Amino acid sequence: MTAAVFGTGRALAAALDAALLEAAGPGPDGAPGPGGAAGRLSAELDAAEEFPAPFVARLDAFGLPAYYVPAEWGGAGADHEILARLWRTVARHDLSTMVAHGKTYLGAASVWLAGDAGQARTTADAVLAGHPVAWALSEPDHGADLLDGELTATVQDGGYRLDGVKWPVNNATRAPYLTVLARTGAAGGARGHSLFLVDRAALAPGTWRALPKEPTHGIRGVDISGIAFEGAALPSGALLGGEGTGIETVLRALQLTRTMCAALSLGAGEHALRIAAAFTAERIIQRRPLLERAHPRASLGRCAALLAASEAAALVGSRSIHSLTGEMSVVSALVKSVAPELTDTVLGELAELLGARSFLTGVYADGAFQKIWRDHRIVSVFDGSTPVNRAALVQQFPRLVRGYAAGSVDAAGLAEAVAVGGAPPGPLDRDALTLLSRRGCSVVQSLPALARSLATGPAPEGLAEHAAALEATTAAVHDLMAAVAPAARPPMAAYEIAAAYELCYAGAACLHAWSAGRHRHQGEPLWQDGLWVRAALRALRASLAAGLRTAPPDPAPGDDRIDEPLARYVAQAARTGAPVTPFGAPMPQGGHS
Amino acid sequence: MTAAALDALLGDALDDHNPVGHAAVLAADERQEMLAEGERALDTYGLNAEFVPVAHGGRLERADRLAEVLRTLWRRDPCLGLGYGFSSLIASVNIWTAGDEEQRRRAADLLLANGRIAVAFHELAHGNDFAHAEFAARPHADGWLLSGRKEVVANVRRAEAMVVFARTGAGAGSRGHSQFLLLRDGLPAGALRDLPRFHSSGMRGVQLGGVEFTDCPVPPGALIGSPGQGIEVALRSYQTTRSVGPAVYVGPLDTALRLVIRCSLDRRLYGGAVADLPYVRAAIARAWADLLAMDAFSGVVLRALHLEPEAMAVYAPAAKYLTARILLDAFDDLRAVLGARSYLRRGPYAMFQKLARDVAPATFSHVSLAAALVTLLPQLPRLARRAWPDGRAAAPALFDLGGDLPALSLDRLSPGMPRHDGVIGTLLKIADGARADDSDPVRRFAARCRDELEALRKGCAALGPEDLTIDASPAAFALADRYTAVLAAASVLGVWQECGTRYPAAALLGVLDRLTGRMGGPPVLTPAERADVERRLFDLAVERCLDSRLLDLSARRVPS
Repeated sequence: MTAAVFGTGRALAAALDAALLEAAGPGPDGAPGPGGAAGRLSAELDAAEEFPAPFVARLDAFGLPAYYVPAEWGGAGADHEILARLWRTVARHDLSTMVAHGKTYLGAASVWLAGDAGQARTTADAVLAGHPVAWALSEPDHGADLLDGELTATVQDGGYRLDGVKWPVNNATRAPYLTVLARTGAAGGARGHSLFLVDRAALAPGTWRALPKEPTHGIRGVDISGIAFEGAALPSGALLGGEGTGIETVLRALQLTRTMCAALSLGAGEHALRIAAAFTAERIIQRRPLLERAHPRASLGRCAALLAASEAAALVGSRSIHSLTGEMSVVSALVKSVAPELTDTVLGELAELLGARSFLTGVYADGAFQKIWRDHRIVSVFDGSTPVNRAALVQQFPRLVRGYAAGSVDAAGLAEAVAVGGAPPGPLDRDALTLLSRRGCSVVQSLPALARSLATGPAPEGLAEHAAALEATTAAVHDLMAAVAPAARPPMAAYEIAAAYELCYAGAACLHAWSAGRHRHQGEPLWQDGLWVRAALRALRASLAAGLRTAPPDPAPGDDRIDEPLARYVAQAARTGAPVTPFGAPMPQGGHS
Repeated sequence: MTAAALDALLGDALDDHNPVGHAAVLAADERQEMLAEGERALDTYGLNAEFVPVAHGGRLERADRLAEVLRTLWRRDPCLGLGYGFSSLIASVNIWTAGDEEQRRRAADLLLANGRIAVAFHELAHGNDFAHAEFAARPHADGWLLSGRKEVVANVRRAEAMVVFARTGAGAGSRGHSQFLLLRDGLPAGALRDLPRFHSSGMRGVQLGGVEFTDCPVPPGALIGSPGQGIEVALRSYQTTRSVGPAVYVGPLDTALRLVIRCSLDRRLYGGAVADLPYVRAAIARAWADLLAMDAFSGVVLRALHLEPEAMAVYAPAAKYLTARILLDAFDDLRAVLGARSYLRRGPYAMFQKLARDVAPATFSHVSLAAALVTLLPQLPRLARRAWPDGRAAAPALFDLGGDLPALSLDRLSPGMPRHDGVIGTLLKIADGARADDSDPVRRFAARCRDELEALRKGCAALGPEDLTIDASPAAFALADRYTAVLAAASVLGVWQECGTRYPAAALLGVLDRLTGRMGGPPVLTPAERADVERRLFDLAVERCLDSRLLDLSARRVPS
């Protein structure tokens, strides 16, 4: 199977949209669309807790798996911004489908990092043929703490034998291949684990069994199950990388996968925003649409702003995989925390606009909202939960503080990373993925210089003020970071400071992405007078003040002219299918109700 | 009968063989059915009698007792709480408020025989905007002809009776609607059609139905009160039911927090118990403080139904609004602690995801959060100009949770503008002379709340006419939101300070820290004070759990 070849991410995404909408055939009006047959099919599969097979088949036919495979192994996986956009596209139709399909990228990532040519070849062929690969890390009694994993691989007959249980694992039952983390040395040690590529078909019968699918709160059709090994013999060639390198490989692979998970949030947030925005325009309360009232407009505007901020953070993060590779230990933790968290906030606020329609499974847009809400709750949990990522970030506070004080920036890498939607970033040097970022975080550390340039150069009304205020807050956050004493078990305050730093990152990503894209996007409504970036900075600053427990920010000039144009634009875009975010893509039409 | 008796009847929640334990509750939820054994247990207990005034043969004379019993039920299964409990309560309060003797007797007889009364107010096209409801009743012969649809109504198909909200006049004025009490088997065949059930992501066992009336004749005796009184009666009744709601929300949070505490003690992470992580301890401490804030605030508001009834037009929507916010935020915080366990529908913590789905309607059911603030807005300028400067403090008895109360008198509730705000008056009394730099953190909190009130007073006094309506600016909504936080903090200060020292001191600081956090601005506690408070709260919460005591202010011992 070969990947469909298209010029840009946007054209690819449009083709993917079409493929998904065709999965269920035309709607009653003959037109495919989110309110048409595909939306109903999603709802039905969810209600029946069935694997989203019709959609997954479309993704395979489209050639999406090729984007999980690096070019040197015959795939199309050269640009993670493209992959993020494709994932967002799928997720805005059906998050369950994306979680089910995207798992293969997660499962295979370690192979590209640590596998030899033969292992990579085998895996690439399997992925390109549409076979899922699972990533078996979690154990019943050990979720986040990989070091304490109890599943063992012991040397036997020139190979290994696996004993133990991996659960809960996405696609554990459906995937013919699994990358499995197993203990090969001392418990609790960083060098005590190794990673294995397990070919299920090669296992002797009776040495493994599938654990039943777990019923879950959301993503109800997805194969969340497990696998138990009992004396399962593996050939020596199943070992990925050297013995004892398993944890390091996983931590490096997580830098890619955690960053990409943010795209799931972008899709879920967009899907929900379109539903709620359409409803706000239609809903008549006291004889006028909600959209004609200031308070619902402010809600809708804030949600659009936070979604735009998530998008900037996620897309800058996805490009950073190529351009700021050595900083990904920081960037991946930031992006994996901030995008799901902002999106959960957005979903909660949109649910208030929708009222009973956020809760009923068959009343509005096929009850899509409540499904998005349930499905999305897993994003902040899997592949490293928000507390896990924050704890990881806290460990890097000293470097980040030093980097900010010194103003350390990889200027060339930064310029490439923030050029969202611009020229494709350079190839990924996988060896440059390191467990700690020596430089810190260029996106944040360049904020003072960026704020200065906005203050002196031409900028939309209010933006320089927002940038200066964000910079001041970011400096204060670094003071707090500097005061956190190193500890194996950091105090709650450290997690809160990490959360604030994430918002600073999102704000800096917005400013950079706006600055880099303003000429290319000239004339687009969201870019008019810097509408989206002012809205995003305002919303992020308010969240920062609440999180840091400081006084609410004073409005910047022009802040009173954000909500109405933004809410009206988003409501209109929900109707016409225009993009709802600054780096978004049009949505094929079909209506929502 | 008491909440303790109901607890005994419901038994050990964690016993898998208990027909009304968590395992059975979860299984019924998976089947999208009400828990039949639970309904039978409630029949045995005679839950409906809690809704019927003593004068009509029931046990209703104190709102706080009613809420305590319902909270017990909501702690076990919100589906039973809504589907068996709350729905008949809302319907019947309208009847006690404005029904004639015959209607009251019928409603009482029906409820005391374990029957149900549905509350058929909601129309999907109008939601909370019930002044624009379309369902209509036209005069006909000596009675009425009813036409229209009611949607997403709990129990409507199986209830023996329903209270229907219908347009009886032209225009959208406040006198254009009336309520009717209808008995199912008294209606002519064919005039009433049941709509298919509405399914939902939470409260999955509750049968949400709908009805469509087509020129359905009803006798004159069906009208509750006089024509055009429908909205007024509803607004008065809501003052009771919107006060009970906040108190019952404590129930699901109690269960959820208990699950999280148990999980944090049982599960191991990074070579220790999950509860060894400072982050987890702080999250649990804060969620417990949230629960206590909800309990103290709703407890005061329930007592106000008896003692300060004229203030209820403000206190009821304020309580409904803030407690719903706190509830949902606390569930989000706890979800992060449980991680993947918050997502599994099987296993020892599966109850969490059910409760999380069941509490989600707190944003819209009964009154949406935005609509609750819209109700408060027109009251704010008058409170700011008259009630707060006047500063009349409530009697200490208002804060004496569990203390004596005169019988509930629904006649004293009115939809008008309160002249006094006794809870705020008590805040001003407690805060008298308090300084922001006092060494006693409670005094600092009092000063902070007083200063916040002063800022609110200025802001609310300056609100223009447009800001008192649904067209209000976001800034006006924010004032109403902050008022609810100040009112809650004032209630908490009253509960801890006006009636002796029966509640833990650390809890007071923790609760006030959470509530002042909602007001915005810098924290009152120093980081060290806060860490110390949260440490003590965590230890106390664990102790309560291990001792099988409720996490609410009652600290009552329960079967599990």
